[in-house]
Amino acid sequence: MSHHFLEVRDLWVAYPDGTEALRGLSFRLEHGEAVGLVGANGAGKSTTLLALAGLINPCRGSVNLGGTVLSKQTVGEIRRRIGFLFQDPDDQLFMPTVFDDVAFGPLNQGLTAEEVEERVRTALEQVGARHLAERPAHRLSGGEKRSVAIATVLSMIPDVLIMDEPSASLDPRGRRLLIGLLKSFTHTRLVATHDLDLVLEVCPRTIVLSGGRVEADGETARIFQDRTLLERCGLEPPLCLQGMPR
Amino acid sequence: MPTSGCSLDENPGFFSRGGVDPRAKWLVTFAFLLVVTSFGKYEISRLTPLVLYPVSLTAVSCVPVTKLLRRVLVALPFVLFVGLFNPLFDREILFKVWGLSISGGWISFVSITFRSLLAVAAAVVLAMTTPFDRLCIGLEKMGVPRVLVTQLQFLYRYLSLLQEEAVRMVRAHALRARGNRPKIRVSSAASMIGFLLLRSLDRATRIYRSMLVRGFDGEVRLMKPLRFAWSRDGIFVGFWALYFLTVRFVDVPGRLFGWVLGR
Repeated sequence: MSHHFLEVRDLWVAYPDGTEALRGLSFRLEHGEAVGLVGANGAGKSTTLLALAGLINPCRGSVNLGGTVLSKQTVGEIRRRIGFLFQDPDDQLFMPTVFDDVAFGPLNQGLTAEEVEERVRTALEQVGARHLAERPAHRLSGGEKRSVAIATVLSMIPDVLIMDEPSASLDPRGRRLLIGLLKSFTHTRLVATHDLDLVLEVCPRTIVLSGGRVEADGETARIFQDRTLLERCGLEPPLCLQGMPR
Repeated sequence: MPTSGCSLDENPGFFSRGGVDPRAKWLVTFAFLLVVTSFGKYEISRLTPLVLYPVSLTAVSCVPVTKLLRRVLVALPFVLFVGLFNPLFDREILFKVWGLSISGGWISFVSITFRSLLAVAAAVVLAMTTPFDRLCIGLEKMGVPRVLVTQLQFLYRYLSLLQEEAVRMVRAHALRARGNRPKIRVSSAASMIGFLLLRSLDRATRIYRSMLVRGFDGEVRLMKPLRFAWSRDGIFVGFWALYFLTVRFVDVPGRLFGWVLGR
């Protein structure tokens, strides 16, 4: 569990074709905070997450996780402390069975067989998927895949959870279960999503991105009622707020 | 997400998960293939006792025979093609049956077909009775380079996804093409294959990233120790090795025939 902060300062990222995906991004997450990262397509959400895990190199700026600044020397340590949930669980579940997938991270951390088994058992129990341990990942339903993908991250006992569209392609029940699960975590969480209703339920704080910059950063309920801001950033209020009088 | 393609590891039983060690299965399968291919090109009758191997394993593994036959028959066109030209090139008459001249080409054609089907049956039984991951671990433990085994595992894992993407692409083409049963032109096919390759590369990048964030350092570690039990796996290998050697060096059908006829 985290006792650390995550700080992004003046982050600039440009792709090889010259597109500037992030233009001076700065924010700070405190220990245990759950923060939603929202924005229209191309706003820079996914790029931000990739940069936080050192999966793409920024041109400028810094990422600081609990006092460790991301660099070539520290990228391994940063990745050990960041749990990254990818948008498509099929990208995250590549091992022959669910057990192997959840054990992949702990095994790479050099833990003993007993410790790995314990981590796998605990992580699968946390997401209610212990019965799936011996199943091949490609035979699972969308919701099960998502739960197992979360377990693969939890088994590494990360300080910070970073999630890219966690509710994508989930049915309503699966989404509801996911929301319950995300609310139950005490990790520092950064959730990049278009699902503003999920953000409203899970994240007390929201960062709005637009054109690779932070357009707004503050209390979720306040931000989601600011229709002018949302429209300017290519967003709409969450469905549960759309019926409410202004 | 629904998966397409057939399952290869869905049959429980003595021969499958928790049963015989995959290394023992690989060894016996290799030995079987070796024996099957070692007979002369005109040999048919001496191959017949080898049918016992796939048939008995099918029986003890609870694998439905129809399923096995279906999968073996898939290979039949290729098998037939292998020996197709033998009757044309080898016209030497070997014997006559009720006035009908049988050439060496026809005998070798039947022999090739028979032994190919035996080999396919053995491979299908192996695949149907062993989870793919255990087959891969078995290969690795037998000294196959880890990088090859990992490639196999990834191929198996992502083949169905690739297939699904291809099906979606063909469907999208069909919906926008002319005619009731539109054919894909060569130019369109080339473009589609190219897109499929690009998508596969994208997916490979994403998978690699997801491996990196979980500490991947070039080595895929697994936590499934195999246990070669001599009382089970040793007996399994020993029994079949003895049987294959007997079939190879003793004319079992000939002796049985002679014994039945009292010669």
